[in-house]
Amino acid sequence: MWAYIIRRILATIPVMAIVALFVFSLLYLAPGDPAAVIAGDQATPADVERIRESLGLDRPYLVRFGAWAWDIFRGDLGTSIFTNLPVSTMIQQRIEPTLSLMVVTLILAVSIAVPMGVIAAWKQGTTIDRFVMAFAVLGFSVPVFVVGYVLAYIFALELDWLPVQGYTPFANGFFPWIENLILPAIALGGVYIALIARITRATMLEVLSQDYIRTARAKGAGQRSILFVHALKNAAVPIVTVVGIGVALLIGGAVVTESVFAIPGLGRLTVDAILRRDYPVIQGVILLFSFVYVLVNLLIDLSYTFFDPRIRY
Amino acid sequence: MGISRRASLGGAAALLGAPSLASAQASARTLRFIPQANLASIDPVWSTAVVVRNHGLMVYDLLYGLGADYQVRPQMAEGHEIGVDGLTWTISLREGLKFHDNEPVRARDCVASILRWSKRDVLGSRLVALGEEVSAPDDRTIRIRLKKPWPGLAWALGKPSANICAIMPERVARTDPFTQITDPTGSGPFRFRRDLFRPGDVAVYERFEGYVPRSEPTDFLAGAKPVHFDRVEWRIMPDPATAGAALQNNEADWWETPLPDLLPLLRRNRDIEIGVVNPAGNLGVLRFNFLHPPFNDVAVRRALLPAVDQRAFMDAAIGTDAGLSVVPAGVFTPGTPLANGAGLEALSGPRDLEAARAALRASSYAGQRVVMMSATDLPVLQNLSEVAADLLRRVGFNVDFPAMDWGTQIQRRTNRNPVEQGGWSVFCTTWEGLDVSVPGSHQPLRGNGAQAWSGWPTMPRLEALREQWFDAPDQAAAQRVAQEIQRVAWDEVPFIPLGLVRPPQAWRRSITGVVRGGSSLFWGVRRA
Repeated sequence: MWAYIIRRILATIPVMAIVALFVFSLLYLAPGDPAAVIAGDQATPADVERIRESLGLDRPYLVRFGAWAWDIFRGDLGTSIFTNLPVSTMIQQRIEPTLSLMVVTLILAVSIAVPMGVIAAWKQGTTIDRFVMAFAVLGFSVPVFVVGYVLAYIFALELDWLPVQGYTPFANGFFPWIENLILPAIALGGVYIALIARITRATMLEVLSQDYIRTARAKGAGQRSILFVHALKNAAVPIVTVVGIGVALLIGGAVVTESVFAIPGLGRLTVDAILRRDYPVIQGVILLFSFVYVLVNLLIDLSYTFFDPRIRY
Repeated sequence: MGISRRASLGGAAALLGAPSLASAQASARTLRFIPQANLASIDPVWSTAVVVRNHGLMVYDLLYGLGADYQVRPQMAEGHEIGVDGLTWTISLREGLKFHDNEPVRARDCVASILRWSKRDVLGSRLVALGEEVSAPDDRTIRIRLKKPWPGLAWALGKPSANICAIMPERVARTDPFTQITDPTGSGPFRFRRDLFRPGDVAVYERFEGYVPRSEPTDFLAGAKPVHFDRVEWRIMPDPATAGAALQNNEADWWETPLPDLLPLLRRNRDIEIGVVNPAGNLGVLRFNFLHPPFNDVAVRRALLPAVDQRAFMDAAIGTDAGLSVVPAGVFTPGTPLANGAGLEALSGPRDLEAARAALRASSYAGQRVVMMSATDLPVLQNLSEVAADLLRRVGFNVDFPAMDWGTQIQRRTNRNPVEQGGWSVFCTTWEGLDVSVPGSHQPLRGNGAQAWSGWPTMPRLEALREQWFDAPDQAAAQRVAQEIQRVAWDEVPFIPLGLVRPPQAWRRSITGVVRGGSSLFWGVRRA
């Protein structure tokens, strides 16, 4: 097991290296020039060139990549071209809101979607099943920003129950913290709930038709025990896999959700950096996202051993 | 004032979470402001972004300040004397001026700041060209010796548009002008809390207790700058719908750039006031590339004039509320001293699409592809560009209208090659009205070839007239030069003015005393 974990962690190094090379090359090829953005409308070409020189953007591709890779190797993500702040500081400032949003969304989604999927499978073909499926289709179909605006209008502007925007750090208290996260988490969780509910239903239907479930029923086991002890545990591996894959969905959705609810997270940092061509920030955030994704997948793989003891690493 | 449901819930939560009465009082002394854009940089000399300039006007004081009448008056300066030959300016500083670190403001700080600014600003570059000496004979005296008289020097040192001549401590002002400063120490009425600065989220300013305001009444950037809030928080909200909802929900006090589409909704809210704070607004500009066909031919540029309908451009940019735009607009900002009607019938007379088509057919235009650039992430520019692209097509141009973001456009604008090699033909933008109110800082009117603004026209007549304006001894002479510039502009068409956009601002009626004149300012304003 430990050997497997170490092997997997070591395997992230070439993955991250490829991501780094890809991100750097993509930004190098993409149109846009931070020096021109900084120089602004009034700048002469000489001004733009001088800024480009001061930022080191006039150096050849390989030299720039080498310098950046060496900095990364030493744990230095660089400095923002615009704010002059270390990228690591900017990420540190922004990571809590994004992490909070993702965790709350994850908890909300799993706690709603899994029971929904289980019940839909149990009541297959009934109105409840159709309702769950209709909800899933709706969750997939309605964009996050539309859900966000509607929720903000109803629960903030009309009912005045929750704030429209912003983020309060957890250190300021649980209630202020969660107050700012409820609407964004619901908006972001829609697609995620739909995805998990559908996969739970499909997997549960397959498991419920297995012989050992029939045996459990024959032995007089209760419905709740059959569903949540015997069936759900055996259906867990595909569900957990989808939860892991969905983290990428959450990262993408967080970009939009953070803009709609003015949450100062990593998603907004990424968008701002892309619009300004703040290369060090874009590179730093994408590397971080990639690392998180690799890590989550590792955790998901490891969790398989918990749900299915037959799996050994 | 009623108590909202969330406030009631908040009260209940308060019993559990124990936020104190003191925190409520503190929030009453805090102004919550939604700026037009993210504050990415804190150096108003290094960056030309309007939001950075606005930050600069809070944190830094200027030697001179512009009044709402567009006349410049001493601000940090007590006054000045000009030698009989007009070549020597002796500027004396007011007593008691202090930086945020409580060090006195000395003349040598001002000299270092002027020199840094002069290397980045369009009027500053004139000081570089004309200046023989910028020195500090003593702690309260700045001496500027020029090679030729420059009556507008005070205006240049006090101009409110980017780049402002922000006075910084000498140690900060010695930073290379092409490198950002990291120390935000200024001597303005607000102290910037860099330790609380989270770019893209919040910028915090606190009242500077050591600020010594002038005794005259508040008058835009001139006169006193009395601060009535302990703290001003800029809260960045990139989404206009969210910003509008935050203002309605009392989560913000003041929104700098409400989207025109949301104005009817905000107007229906009795707690919100909408007003034009900056009457000088932004001048819409249609700019050509003068290096390549077809717009290197003056006949092609002139052909467009009879077809341009400024009202259509303004309606697209800011809506049909006539109070939010001004037409007709000449080459200088309407409502400012140099605005004039010389030859304005070129744009204000009856519109004639057929005349434009005929003029284009008679020109050298041979159906070449015309690349119209547009930044889709900036709604006003995108709307102006949509109208312009449609106009160009109707006149008979073969228009290519690629979508791009601002970052891409501003880079592509530096490309001087033909369109086949990634170049461009024409684009729309807006210029701050205060910038284009005088020839000195009016970049679209420059005709200095390779050194000119994007488009790079060579127009010696306009350059000569600009020099004449600098030398104008009084306002009457300046006005005569401005009229001649406008006549030449219709002849050479360095750009086409599209009208003046006057974007409104929205604030809750719980604040009062918003200072009018230009950008959003945070002195004078107080809780009602």
